[in-house]
Amino acid sequence: MSIIIISSDAMEIEETIAEKVAEAMGYSRLGHQILADVAAKYQIDPVKLNEAMETTPSLFKNLSARQWRHYLACVEAEVYDYLLADNIVCWGLAAHLYVTGISHVMKVRVLSGNSRGTMEIAEQKGISLQVVEKLRAGELQQRKKWSLAAYNYDETDLSRYDLVINLDQIDPEEAVKTITGAIEYRKFQVMTYSMKCLSNLALSARVNVTLLKSMADINVQARDGSVVVSTKASARQKRKKIATIKELAGNVDGVSYVEVHVKKNILEETA
Amino acid sequence: MSIITISRGSYSMGKAVAMQVAQRLNYRLISREVLLDASSHFHVPEIKLIKAIHDAPGILERYRHNKQSYVAYIRSVLVERVVDDNVVYHGLAGHLLLKGIPQVLKVRINADLERRVAVVMERDKISASDARILIQEDDKQRRKWTRSLYGQDPWDTSLYDLSICIHKLSIENAVDYICQAADTRRFQSTEKNIQKVKDMSVACRVKADLVDEFPNIGVTCEYGNVLIYMKGKDQVTGKLTKKLNLIRENTSGIYHLETHAGVEPPPDAV
Repeated sequence: MSIIIISSDAMEIEETIAEKVAEAMGYSRLGHQILADVAAKYQIDPVKLNEAMETTPSLFKNLSARQWRHYLACVEAEVYDYLLADNIVCWGLAAHLYVTGISHVMKVRVLSGNSRGTMEIAEQKGISLQVVEKLRAGELQQRKKWSLAAYNYDETDLSRYDLVINLDQIDPEEAVKTITGAIEYRKFQVMTYSMKCLSNLALSARVNVTLLKSMADINVQARDGSVVVSTKASARQKRKKIATIKELAGNVDGVSYVEVHVKKNILEETA
Repeated sequence: MSIITISRGSYSMGKAVAMQVAQRLNYRLISREVLLDASSHFHVPEIKLIKAIHDAPGILERYRHNKQSYVAYIRSVLVERVVDDNVVYHGLAGHLLLKGIPQVLKVRINADLERRVAVVMERDKISASDARILIQEDDKQRRKWTRSLYGQDPWDTSLYDLSICIHKLSIENAVDYICQAADTRRFQSTEKNIQKVKDMSVACRVKADLVDEFPNIGVTCEYGNVLIYMKGKDQVTGKLTKKLNLIRENTSGIYHLETHAGVEPPPDAV
């Protein structure tokens, strides 16, 4: 009765290990395949959604920061809904960056290993080892940049994970065995409190999606149906913004009370 | 039959994990002995060696190469100690000092900051904020040290085979996983691997003997054949020749010794 989130520096490895762990544990799978469902549910262009999961916003890419945040929030909300079902192996949705503070979630990072991974890619693609190394370094740098921009976390920081396994010397089968063994540990078992925390995060994510559709600079925290939204606004717009937030958030399923905290938006006021 | 290095942040329960692993596998446990050996063998006070592998080099030290020498001494002693295999090392920088030995299982133990703060508060009887500052300063020094000497971040996941966070996972769980991993095929000593450690031990010994006067050399060893790489062509002096003759006489395991001047050391050189 737990959730396993697997992240890796190589997408193929992430998927392979996640599939094997899910099979061994009899858990359901939650991978990047759900992005198509997210796009359909929130009426987003699937290509743009995929792009948002890989790149940061830029003027040249026709993806504004607000749009990007909204797309990421849509994915988050959907992931939380699935995670509430429990007994799940999740990968490829950056969940290791935003699912935080839930005791029955085990976060694992699997590293493809420098020598083994590089050689396999070089053989598959028929290119030299140096080229592969350069390409991988670029990809890793891009992922790091993305994780910092999206969630202010460096995904290569090992303190973010319960377990990090490097496949350079350890066989994938051995890694699967270690992961499945670890999840049996009692601290990863579901408790009423951890489930409640997850429900609160899921509700925050749902409110976040609703609000980010029409505004930016939003921070949402939910607890047992009560929602606190922090935002910025100029003195002139303060009342209007509070009313809008209360109306939009109040219509979200599961919200019983909305409180809005507004900070002065100095930039807007000066303008 | 393998070598396990356990690296950890300060107050992260790494020592407790290392002790239990050594006990369960019936391996030798080494840590501070390496510094004591290096101190007596190379006639350097232990405190200087501790500083060398703990604090990052200052601006002047980068030019004096003292730290580089001390690290070479420590590495030489450590590699010599692991030649016999079946060892758990839980001192500083084991994963970097034993780099290049295939049967080394490199483990990192982390603990969440709040738990570390609690340990320091209890031990030193100080406030939470002071404890936090102490730990953060210590982590900062470790980062600077690894970056300045090896160009890598100690928090970089790719430096380790296994990294375990002691928070939800307990010390016993960590011991289980380490023993399980050490038992796998790739960490078992083979004849080839054992020879590699012996060669590395010779190379490290030669480097330690030369590093004081020739800080920029690189040394490799293959089946007792030692190659010394020097960047400048004019550096092969009478002083070096004399020193090499002494090394040849005093170091066991050297069959042949050769210098390559004006050649960049290969990446696996120590």
